[in-house]
Amino acid sequence: MTKASPVKTSQSINQRRWKKFKGIRRGYYSMLLLLGAYALSFFLPLMVNNKALIVSYNGEWSSPATRDFFASLPLVGSLAPSSFDPAEKYGEVGVQAEANYRVLQAKWDAAGSENYVIMPMYPFGPNEDVTVGGNEKFVGPFEADGYGLPRPFGTDDVGRDVLSRMAYGFQVSMSFALLIAILEYLIGVPIGAMMGYFGGYVDLTMQRVMEIWTALPFLFLIIIIVSFVEPTFSLLVFLLVIFSWLGIATQMRAQFYRERSRDYVAAAVSIGVPTRSIIVKHILPNTLVPIITFFPFALVGGISALVSLDFLGFGMPPPTPSWGQMIGVGLSNITRYWLVAVPFGAMFITLTLVVFIGEGIREAFDPKVFSRLR
Amino acid sequence: MIQYIIRRLLLAIPTFFGATVVVFFIVQFAPGGPYEQQLNALRKGQGSEGGGSALGTEMMSIPPSQLEALQRYHQVNEPIWKRYLMWLGMFPRPVNDYLALIDTPQNVGQNHRIIVKKDVNGQFSVHEAENDNGPLSGWYVDPSKKENSVWVYQRGVSGIFTLDFGRSERYRKPVTELIAERLPVSMQFGLISFVITYVVCFYLGTQKALRHGSRFDVISSSMVFIAFSIPGWALGAVLLVLLGGGSALAWFPTGGFQSTDYEAITAWEKIGDRAWYFVLPTIAYTLGGFASITLLMKNSLLDTLGQDFVRTAYAKGLRENRVVWMHAMRNSVIPLVASIGGIIGIFLAGNYLVEYAFNIDGIGRLSFEAIGSRDQSVFFAFAVISIIITLVGSIISDFMLALVDPRIRFS
Repeated sequence: MTKASPVKTSQSINQRRWKKFKGIRRGYYSMLLLLGAYALSFFLPLMVNNKALIVSYNGEWSSPATRDFFASLPLVGSLAPSSFDPAEKYGEVGVQAEANYRVLQAKWDAAGSENYVIMPMYPFGPNEDVTVGGNEKFVGPFEADGYGLPRPFGTDDVGRDVLSRMAYGFQVSMSFALLIAILEYLIGVPIGAMMGYFGGYVDLTMQRVMEIWTALPFLFLIIIIVSFVEPTFSLLVFLLVIFSWLGIATQMRAQFYRERSRDYVAAAVSIGVPTRSIIVKHILPNTLVPIITFFPFALVGGISALVSLDFLGFGMPPPTPSWGQMIGVGLSNITRYWLVAVPFGAMFITLTLVVFIGEGIREAFDPKVFSRLR
Repeated sequence: MIQYIIRRLLLAIPTFFGATVVVFFIVQFAPGGPYEQQLNALRKGQGSEGGGSALGTEMMSIPPSQLEALQRYHQVNEPIWKRYLMWLGMFPRPVNDYLALIDTPQNVGQNHRIIVKKDVNGQFSVHEAENDNGPLSGWYVDPSKKENSVWVYQRGVSGIFTLDFGRSERYRKPVTELIAERLPVSMQFGLISFVITYVVCFYLGTQKALRHGSRFDVISSSMVFIAFSIPGWALGAVLLVLLGGGSALAWFPTGGFQSTDYEAITAWEKIGDRAWYFVLPTIAYTLGGFASITLLMKNSLLDTLGQDFVRTAYAKGLRENRVVWMHAMRNSVIPLVASIGGIIGIFLAGNYLVEYAFNIDGIGRLSFEAIGSRDQSVFFAFAVISIIITLVGSIISDFMLALVDPRIRFS
């Protein structure tokens, strides 16, 4: 992108595109909403968690939720039980299990003691099930659980909170899809660029490879692989990336192929610009349109792939909160409508936002003008 | 045209080999294949019932001859490239493999006995047990670890190319038979969604092009894209909950593809029954496929409507309907025709996600469950069939395109 200039008249094409995109309100606000929600989702351990934000016991402070938050930051292995405080630590003599902060809070409040607990905004974690005291299976939406605490979206087949899992599921899905899309680009863009620019044997060989790759039933193969290798976040990302870089590579190949025959490239070649800078500095900026317009599709693909794998039980290792797994549970308990409706709703809204962003981007970046006579 | 077709077909061959090699290697690396399963079963001394973990069970030593037979049956000791070729059916593999004592008649098949003789040089030869007229051709001998005996076998070619996909460990049937049983259901879904997709997309695309930029166009675009991005099976789950007797209305059955009394009812009722069961899964199958073809149709028609010959037609004073349907449409359906091949992929391969969600006994669900039960030959076969169908689909697409658009076959 060129540097922003103070003179109003010389807007670069990308500035104009951006301005146009901002003018398409539906796409622009969808983007703000989605990015905002995603940014906020990093703070989920501080907002939706069964661990206390602050515990003050005998004058000593601790914050299990904050520890959770830091443990969740590097995305991978985000749900390791990082902050485990046995109940013993807070005066429950002989209880080695993890402290139930909601119970502690109620108890200390009732006793009017000096100790206190401040819970996160929504005090239920994504993975606390019936084994944690007071959690019930199949609490309906807006019903109260054993402690009389409201559960807006109910609980699932093992007593886990659906709202909490839905929220964490958003984080997992988005991180996963974004990571896949980015890695896919890192592989697909250079390969497509080389194929389009060099043509000839490079192009022919790679085209054969890509043809083979597209002929493979990739999701099915991933399921086969995952069925004998313990799936992890990074393994799934890796597998999906090696099967999904083709889309953007095909796009880039076509673009580079077209741009390569333009005069400005010939000019650059004739004055002896090295090939690498022709590709990177001269042609690449002109292929921005497919790069950007394709991104929402890559996101959609990543989200659906993960959700499908989770649904079949070959995705994230349990008990990772994921929408696919939630819908799967809902499908085997079909009379509990909220088990399907909540994750599906979340997925629907997320994907709809992505679609709106995509439409906005396409309109701003790729204004295909059709002239009709009547 | 013929030259084009031949070139296209030849190009598909390396692709087929490449793709099957990838699948073969992935499956070969999967532990718990049929060989290991049968080995475990032997160890546990339960015949060939199920594999499972050997933890805590008493290990039984396997008789060496049985182990050898198993190894020979699965060609474990052959190099991997040879196994790949055998599996494809391009390299002969032993058939009718028998462990025979030297100089003792051995039953091979009905009323057929052979005898292995060892000559002075230590060379083996196979003879008829009765009426010996010299060494038999077509029989081969391999050494065995067992004392005083050898393996005698005939060679035969059987594999993917001869439609031999092996046997299912779980169902105790040839895979081909299993697939043939379940194919009709998957095909019915494929066919119905194929027809619906093309009818809807053709209509929708045309309307969108004619009313480009209108409210209808904008809204239908969004809807089609949203339908595209939502996985069909997830929508199916919601439909089951809402309409399939889950939590709200029970207008449609909860799963499966026919009533239990299907065999007993009349033909008309059968059709009605099928339709009743098919509504929800068909919605789940088709919805995602609308986007690409609708837009293809729309853009193609819009492109054509902007061209000079359309202007000429208007200038001649033809009515709008005639211009659109007689002049523009013929040129606009080319990309639509070309995409037909791709849809054939969905057609036979079966969508295991939807079949799984709706509990439909199609090949998709069969193969998916085979992964879980480590029934290797079944999911192996499914992967290969998917590859073949994808390839055939793309070839058909190219043929259709060449057929309707002369510019392609002459370039």
